[in-house]
Amino acid sequence: MFIRVLKAEMIKMRHSPVWLAFLLIPIIPAFMGTFNYLNNLEILENEWYSLWTQHTLFACYFFLPVLIGIYCSYLWRLEHANHNWNAVMTAPVPITHLFLAKLIMGSAMVVLTQLWIGLLYILSGLLAGVSGPIPPELSVWLFFGALGGMVACALQLFISLVIRSFAVPVGIALMGGIAGLALLSKGYGIWFPYALITLGMRANDPAAPMSVGEIQFILACAVFMAGFSLFAIIWLKRRDVVTG
Amino acid sequence: MREAIGMEALKTKGRKIWLVVAVMMGVQMLWAGWAISNKDANDLVQGWLFFLYQFPMLNCIIMPVIAAVVASRLCEVEHKGQTFKLLETIVPANRIFDAKFIWGSIYMFGAALGQVAIMIGMGLMLHFGGPVPWGALGGYLFFTLAVSLTIYAFQQVVSMLFANQMVPMTLGLVGGFIGLFSMFFPQGFQKFILWSYYGVLMQIGMNWDQNTRAIDFYWTAIDWSGFVLLFVFFGLIYGIGRILFVRREV
Repeated sequence: MFIRVLKAEMIKMRHSPVWLAFLLIPIIPAFMGTFNYLNNLEILENEWYSLWTQHTLFACYFFLPVLIGIYCSYLWRLEHANHNWNAVMTAPVPITHLFLAKLIMGSAMVVLTQLWIGLLYILSGLLAGVSGPIPPELSVWLFFGALGGMVACALQLFISLVIRSFAVPVGIALMGGIAGLALLSKGYGIWFPYALITLGMRANDPAAPMSVGEIQFILACAVFMAGFSLFAIIWLKRRDVVTG
Repeated sequence: MREAIGMEALKTKGRKIWLVVAVMMGVQMLWAGWAISNKDANDLVQGWLFFLYQFPMLNCIIMPVIAAVVASRLCEVEHKGQTFKLLETIVPANRIFDAKFIWGSIYMFGAALGQVAIMIGMGLMLHFGGPVPWGALGGYLFFTLAVSLTIYAFQQVVSMLFANQMVPMTLGLVGGFIGLFSMFFPQGFQKFILWSYYGVLMQIGMNWDQNTRAIDFYWTAIDWSGFVLLFVFFGLIYGIGRILFVRREV
């Protein structure tokens, strides 16, 4: 049953213009970061590591939360349109499956985005003439960044489920990203879902180990994801649908 | 026209658009509080200049998002209800366009006014140096509103033309981010990008001493040629957008 729900989600996403956001939005921080790096070579001496800080600085705080917000708003868009909630909620499909399929789709998009960000980072480094080998930790940064992104995805899916507008949850995501910047600087990053992306990608200091332990980070991600998923499933089970 | 605007007011009843603006202003206030919390008494002497420099920078991101969300909220109701077909049989299409713009402008004005209130409130509370620079704050309100309305006009055009609100949202956000990035470039380049006009029309400049890492703010002359260019942008976006909306098949 679950596989069929997942397949239905894939059909819904087919030919969607979401690739426009997926392709375009990560290019901007990559361009900004490389430009910034090349302009500050006398301060940024750590080559690939310095380039990573410049790439992820803008991406984690502004771009990724927004991008994930767009993905999640898009994932619920069809359900919110017309009277589709009536069809969705009367289909013989467990609500848990429905939400988890959305979460898997969103998470897959987050992983693809991370890969795209990684590719842009390597391409930018090569074009900028950064010497030395590509950091072997890149896959770890991307992996933990993806975990943080999945938490943001679970939260945004919940917000986009509750708020029927496309734009408002995206605005909330941006506000979350900006608030994450302030909270992370005060040392509360692990407690704030939007700051987990920055924390996971080691945007502030990629050469150093994560400021919180990796186990603690994974645990925080798991708790947040389970919590937001639970909220969403309870919301779907308890609330009457609003259509039209 | 009055009836058309009244209709917009009724349509937005209960849609909590002011809440969106208020939340954005709340974040901007938190940001301002966070940015100023690192400053000592010497820095606070230049507090007004610091705010008049910081706010336009943050506006590059915040205001395009407010414009995109407000335009999307005002237009998606028509797409969802497929009401353009009915509306255009009783109200001329150009009047619908104008009414939506006027109603959306009120939210943008509210946001700009909210920012000035935040600046004055925090300035008085933290005892910034010198009297309240009413003239500069008035200029800030005027230029912020001018840029925001031009961006809002763009967002309204795209939100009205595309039923799928992902497209205007993405374009608005990409524009905002490019606007922020363009601050690294010379002003000549910035003038080609609509979203970077918050920076072009800034009244404050900044000197950063690389050795001492000290920051000093100073007043700059207003770029009136930039303002004229912005006015041209507005005319083109509003004019062409309105024509496209009126002529499209419903």
